[in-house]
Parts: sequence; structure tokens; C-alpha cells
Amino acid sequence: MKSLLSRLAVLAVLLAASVPGLAAADARLMIAMMPKAKGNAYFLSCKAGADQAAKELGVELLFDGPTDSNAAKQNEIVDNWITLGVDVIAVAAENKEGISTALRKAQQAGVKVITYDADALPDARSFFVNQATPQGIGFALMDEAARLCHAEGEFAIITATLTAANQREWEKYIRQRLADKYPKMQLVAVRPSDDLKDKAQSEATALMSAHPDLKLLMAICTPGVPGAAEAVKQAGKTGTVKVIGLGLPNENKRYVHEGVTDSVVLWNTTDLGYLTIYAGVALAKGELKPGATSIQAGKLGTFEIVGDNIMLGKPYIFNKDNIDQFDF
Amino acid sequence: MKRYFREISVTLALGLVLLGLAVFAPAFYQPQPLLSLVTREAPTLVIACGMALVIICRQIDISVGSQFSVCSVAAGLLAAHGWPLPLVVVAAAVIGAGLGAVNGVLVAGLRLPSIVVTLATMVTLRQGLNLLRQGEFVNLPDGVQWFGLSQTAGQWTLVGAALAVLVACGLAMRHLAAGRWVYAVGTDAEAARLAGIRPQLVTFLVFVLLGALTGLAAMMNIVQSPQVQPLAGAGLELKVIAAVVVGGVSISGGRGNVWGAFAGLLLLACVAPALTHLRIEAYWEKAIQGAIILLAVVADGLRSRPGKGGRG
Amino acid sequence: MSAPRPPAAWKAALLRHETLLLAVLVAEWLLFYHFGTTTNRRGLVVGFGTLDRQFDILRHSCEIGLLALALTPIILTAGIDLSVGSLLGLCAIVFGKLWHDGGLSIPAAAALTLLAGALGGGLNAGLITRLRLPPLIVTLGTYSLFRGLAEAITHGAVTYTDFPASFLFLGQERWLGLPTQAWLFLLVAAGVWLLVHSTTFGRAFRVIGFSPEGARYAGLPVGRCLALVYVLAGLISALAGLIYTARLGQAKADAGTGYELFAITAVVLGGTSIFGGRGSVTGTLLGVAAIAVLKNGLACLPVVIRMNAAEEMSGLLTGVLLLAALTGSMLPKILSPLLRRAQSG
Repeated sequence: MKSLLSRLAVLAVLLAASVPGLAAADARLMIAMMPKAKGNAYFLSCKAGADQAAKELGVELLFDGPTDSNAAKQNEIVDNWITLGVDVIAVAAENKEGISTALRKAQQAGVKVITYDADALPDARSFFVNQATPQGIGFALMDEAARLCHAEGEFAIITATLTAANQREWEKYIRQRLADKYPKMQLVAVRPSDDLKDKAQSEATALMSAHPDLKLLMAICTPGVPGAAEAVKQAGKTGTVKVIGLGLPNENKRYVHEGVTDSVVLWNTTDLGYLTIYAGVALAKGELKPGATSIQAGKLGTFEIVGDNIMLGKPYIFNKDNIDQFDF
Repeated sequence: MKRYFREISVTLALGLVLLGLAVFAPAFYQPQPLLSLVTREAPTLVIACGMALVIICRQIDISVGSQFSVCSVAAGLLAAHGWPLPLVVVAAAVIGAGLGAVNGVLVAGLRLPSIVVTLATMVTLRQGLNLLRQGEFVNLPDGVQWFGLSQTAGQWTLVGAALAVLVACGLAMRHLAAGRWVYAVGTDAEAARLAGIRPQLVTFLVFVLLGALTGLAAMMNIVQSPQVQPLAGAGLELKVIAAVVVGGVSISGGRGNVWGAFAGLLLLACVAPALTHLRIEAYWEKAIQGAIILLAVVADGLRSRPGKGGRG
Repeated sequence: MSAPRPPAAWKAALLRHETLLLAVLVAEWLLFYHFGTTTNRRGLVVGFGTLDRQFDILRHSCEIGLLALALTPIILTAGIDLSVGSLLGLCAIVFGKLWHDGGLSIPAAAALTLLAGALGGGLNAGLITRLRLPPLIVTLGTYSLFRGLAEAITHGAVTYTDFPASFLFLGQERWLGLPTQAWLFLLVAAGVWLLVHSTTFGRAFRVIGFSPEGARYAGLPVGRCLALVYVLAGLISALAGLIYTARLGQAKADAGTGYELFAITAVVLGGTSIFGGRGSVTGTLLGVAAIAVLKNGLACLPVVIRMNAAEEMSGLLTGVLLLAALTGSMLPKILSPLLRRAQSG
């Protein structure tokens, strides 16, 4: 992590050199990537992959976003990028319709637009890099839960904020899968954690005490998984109440090895970032055109394109057998 | 009795809620989860004691959430660098005191209104921390959690520490001259000055004390889990102020005590788990808390004489 | 006129503050024009200096500007309203629900939304005037309550979208050369200016700010004045909520979060004393402009964009700016006794 001091030094130097015209001297392709929330470790790991791809391709990568999920701020940042004159914008949309207005403006200004992780409206972008459909994620989570509970019993969901769009999507598919395939399981509660690990811990504690027959906690936001795991550990219910969720390997390694958390469902976020940059650059260079059925992405190989969705692949499940292989 | 009407009524309200839970959701009273709940609230209680003093002194501090985040991250980083724990505790309190002192200087020294000053410091601290940390967790080394004690011992230590702070503040406010000064300055700063008290110094010191207690609370929070999230503490100021106000501390200053704040804190802390136990949807939480605050405030208004108006 | 006029020195001081602010505004505008306008890789002139960008600044600052206008009379009376941002969000949701679930036409929904805003302001007004409760704590409570209601109504999750283009015109298109909402903003600005500077109410606000008890003894309708400012704030917040919805094309429960800080900063920056009794609408408008230019200008600097720190920097600078403005406003008061002592000693 850069220290504040070094950032200030960079600022001072660049400000001194920042006269009109100088900014245009850099003729490299410029691709701008926006997370939903800048500080979220999930998006930071996307950035790691994106940085790597940018280096391999010799393009300049800008990475900026709101500090916490905020649709209005995302629009403002897109406006900034149009101003700057970037070549490609890659956005993880906090709100589908809201961001589309800004993205359409970008397209009109000649900027290429793709989305990743969370889509905008189809006409506002050329392609969507899809890590896994919300359906895929929802089903994977529910199936994993069912496997651990032997398809019967009570479980509860801990989500981010009640307004978070992705989480609402996933919850919809979890409920659908639950209704279709697992009639002997019940979803007893959905509690928000506001993306706060400590709040997730409190909520999990309350859930376990309010529902003594609870068999599993499903945390569908990244800070929620370690929070729920800590709660289970402190309640002395390791093994009795299972913990699964959508999270990052590093934050959960400890709990997976202690047997508190069983599975962490995700996809390789680094690969997602990597693929997004490759797709964006290919789009800018004209190599990726509508109607394409596959795309080559550096050392990751070929990826399938379905319609205008570039598919990363199926969700990946981290557990104690493989979690140590990953570092993000 | 009449003097403590507010504190008693809050305690009664709390009692009613607890009774209701005993009847409708007896599962609430299992010892281990209850202890965990109480331990989670222990840091908040410590901050509430400090906040009660600030509000009694006719000021307010809405930057405590950001101070808490900064102290948490700082303490976490120090612990991760191998500093011995007692030193980290002291460092956290000192950093907190420093942040409080900034508020104190601006409010007491420059006579600026505390609401706006602390609004500014709240945003400055939060954004500064974001700039530095970008939301990344701080991983704590082994041996930090629960101060290296067992979980139960650690939990009781934290609860005990919080109660000790509560009792110390409560007794000090009542029996020490310094405590009476706070009430005096909060009631009428000019009269206090004429009586030989130094209102600016008292005001400055309550902000410093609140900061130090916040730093201590941050420390009490980070030992409860092996990772520190920089976002922790967001929204804490409202929680603490609500608890204090519900507990009978008047925003116009000069009235209230930490015991009431304690009751208020417990009452508000029950809302979330009560909703879970009573199977009520989560999205009612904020509205219910806002309503409790307003009810408490209205109760204050109806009961008391139209005293000094203004903003407090 | 039997009531004592404020001494001419006050007027001179006020004018001086606004002139200073205007100078700061012009200076920062030029600064950002110089550093923030470039020719981008496509050969187009982009950045701060383009008309597009200026209109964007105008568009983005209308909502905060409206809130700042709403807060000016309140702060003049030595009051405060922390709930304006939350009320904006609540009204946005109410509007969305009335139109989407209630099936009302846009104008009908909008009218009812304005009413809802007035009612919200009325709640504040009632508690403050009837029960003589401090505005700080009342609006702190409604700050939570309004946001909580917005979340409860939407179950935290629902977002209202798909508004007709005729409505989105309000927030996203231009009318007679300026962004549509700018006209509404100017209208409200004119109205508030007249209220504060040309009516007896305006004068009453200042007197109440100087001394509420004195105002009461002087026979001023303190209760009615206070009720007016808070209800008006509610109404304006509702309007801001409508504009927000039109601009973003969506109504969500978190609309307007954090707007209070910028609004209060704009008012204080504009020279209105936080203690009440002194201030001007012109100052507020200049303050809004100064902050809007700062926020957006920073975001145009290539160096800030590369640092990925646009939001933190603007938040940080706004906080620092507010502190600086407050300190600056107090320095004369503190320095003058020292100066006097130095002169006489």
C-alpha cells in the first residue's frame, strides 16, 4: 500500500508538471476501470489481475471508484473519464439504469464501454464480462448449503446492505433453487451487515440464539464471511453451525483451516480483472466485434462469448483442500 | 426520585422490552450469546460515557466514529508490528486523546460550534483514512485476540473494564469537583466563569477525555476478532448519541448522567437482536431507532420547562 | 423605525466577506481552467474548460445548492437542520412509490411529494416550536427517522426506475440553453433571496438569530417564523429529491446521503454565521459555487484522476475548507481584543 507521504510526493511532482498539453503526450491506450467500491478487497483483487493485463498489453490503467457503493458517484467518475479522454471504460455497475445514462454519453463521445461483475443496460455497453451469472452464483451457494446440511434443516442469510443490487439478485436465485430442489430446507432470516464485519458477527450471534435449530449461515458479502465465522467460533458452535459464503480466500483461510468455514464460493477475481482488461483493449483496437463467439486473453487462454456476455466460467469453490493456492 | 425521572423511565422501558423478550422470545436469554452481545457493546458503552460528559457540557461530537476507525487501524498496525499489548492500549488512548484535542482546541479555543467542527473533523478523518488504507483489513497476530486470554476470560475482562469506566465516570461526575464543573459549564458557562471555573479548559478537557475513551474503546474492539476492518465505526456516532440522549442526557446541557446513558445504550442495542428473535424484518431497524430517539426527546420537551433554547 | 438598525460596520464586513469569496471563486475557477483543461488523445479539448463540463457542474450542484438555500434561513435563526439529506431520500422514494405502485401521473406524484416534504419539515417545525426542543437533536432524530422510513418503505431493496423521458428531461436535458434543473434552482434562489432580504420575515429571522427571547419580547411571531423556515426546508428538500431522481433516473433509499455536510459548508463558507443573525443568500450561492467548482475542478485534474483519489480528496478538502472557513470567521473576534490591547498597551 502506498503511504500517504509517497502519494503526496507524487502529487507534488505531477502537479508541477501538469500543464495543458503535457497530458496528451502519453500516446498509450488508456483504459479506465471502476469497481463498485474502491476499498472492497474483492475489487482490489480484480485490480491485481487488471494491473497484470495492463502491463502485458502495454496500456495505461486507471482504477477509481466510490469509497462505498454509490451510484451517483459512479456517474460522476464516468464523466471525469470522458473528460480525460480515456479510450475504454470498464464498469461494475452499482445501479443498472443509473449508470447507463453516463455510459451512453461515453459511447457518444467515442469511448468504448464494457461492464464486468455487475451489468448495465445492454445498449449502454458493448460487452459484459460475466464472472458467473447471478443464477450460477445463487445456485452454487444453495447447492453447497444443501450438500453440507444433507438437504434438510434451517439456514439464514447475512447480506450486505438491504439495497445492494448484486445481493438481491443472488438471494432471488437462492430462494428459487431452494423452492425447486430442497423442500426440506427453510430460509429463516435475512439480516444486513452493512458490509461491516463486526455487525455481521453480531447478527450471526443473534441468529444462532434466535434459531436454535439453525444449521448453516450463508454470508453473501465478503466482510460477512469472516464475521459470521468468528461468531460461530465464539459461540462454540464450530461444526454444528456451518458457515459458507461469498468471500475472498485470504480473509477466510484462517477459518477454513480451523474447520469453522466450510466453503467459500467465488470465482477467480484476479482472472476477472485480467479478462476485463484484455476484452476492453481488444474492443478499443477493433479486434473484438459484436457477434464474436470467443476471445483470446493472454495467458488465460480462450473464453467463450454468449451473445454479448464474455463468460469467465463457473463459480469456484474454495475449501480447505485448495484455499492455500490462492493469494487474494 | 423526581430528579431521576428520566433515567428511571428509560430503565423501565428497557425492563419492558426485556420482559417482552422473555415472554415472546426466551431464546434471547441464553448465556453465551448474551455474553457475546454484551461484550460487543462494551466499547460503545465506554464511548457513551465520554459522550455523556461532552453533551452535559453543552457540546456534541459527531466525529467519534471516525476517531474510532483511526484508532482501531492504528492500534491494529502497532500490534501487527509487534508492540507489546499494554503499550498498544496506551498508544490507542493517546492517539484518541490527540484527535479529541483537535476538536477541543477548535471548540474551546476558537469558540466554534461543536456540531460544525466535529462534522468537519469526521469527514476529514474518514476520507484521510480511506486515502491511506483503501479499505484493506489489518491482520492481527496471534495473542492479540482476547489479550491472549481464553475467550470467556477475555469477554468478562472487557465487560468488567467497560463497567469500571461506567462506575468511575458516574462516581466522578457526582463526587469530584471536576464533575460538578462539567455540569456548571453545561448549565451556564458565564455563571461558571464568574464562580471561578474555567469553562474553556473544562470544555477542552471533555473533548480530550472523549477522544481517549474512544481510543480505549477501539482497543477493546480489536481484541474481539483477529482482523480489523477500517470501515468499523461508521455510524457509531449516531448510535452513541442516541443512547446518551435516550438515557436522559439533555442536549441543552447541564442535565443527565452516565447511568441513564447505560440504560439508553442497552435499550437501543436490543433493537436489532430483538427484531431477529421476534422474526421481524430487518428493514425496520433504522425507523424504530429513530422513533425511540424522537420519543425520548419529545418526552424531555414535554416534561421540562422551556429552558434555554438554541442549539446546544 | 423604532427597531435599531445593525450598524453600518456589519454591512461593510458582510460585503467584504462576499467579495473575498467571489475572488476565491474566480481564482479557483481560473486555476482549474488552466490545469484542468487539456487536449485529449482524440484531439478534442476536454476538461474543466468545456461548456459541457460547466453544465455538468451546474447539474450536479443543483441538489446541494437547493439544500443550502433551504438551510440559509434556518441557520439565520440560529437553528440547524441535519435531516435535509434524509428527507431528500425519503421524498425521492415517496415519489417513486406514488408513481410506480400508486399509478399516479408524474405531476400528481410530484405534487404529493412536495406535500410530503412539507409535512416532514412540519414535523421538525412542530417539535421545535411547540415543544421548544433544540433543533440539533430534533433534526438528528429525524435524520435517522426519515432515512429509516425510506428504507422501510422500500424494504431496503426496491429501486424505482423507468421514469418517462418527459420527467427525465428535468434532470438530464437542457432547456433554453441551461440544464433544466438550473432554471428551477434559479427560481428557488430568487424566492429565498426575496424572502430573506426583502420581507419582514427575513428581518425577523435575523432578530430571532440574535436573540430569540428578545424577538419574543419585541412581539415578533417567533413560532410562525421558525415553522416557516423548517417547512420551507422540507419543501425544498422534496424538490431536490425530484431533481435527483430525474438526474439519475432512479429513486433509491440512499439518495442524498451525506449532502448535509456540503450544504452546511456552502452556507458557512458564504458568510452566514453559524450562531445566527448574520448572513446572506448571495453568500450561500457563492459558497455553493465555490464548493461545486472545487469538487468538480479537482476531479478534472489529470493528476488527481491518476491518483484514483477524486472522492477522498474532495471530501478531505471540503472538511478542511469548512474548518478553515469557521476559523477564519472567528479570527477577527479573537484578534480584535488582542489588537486593541496591543494598541493601547
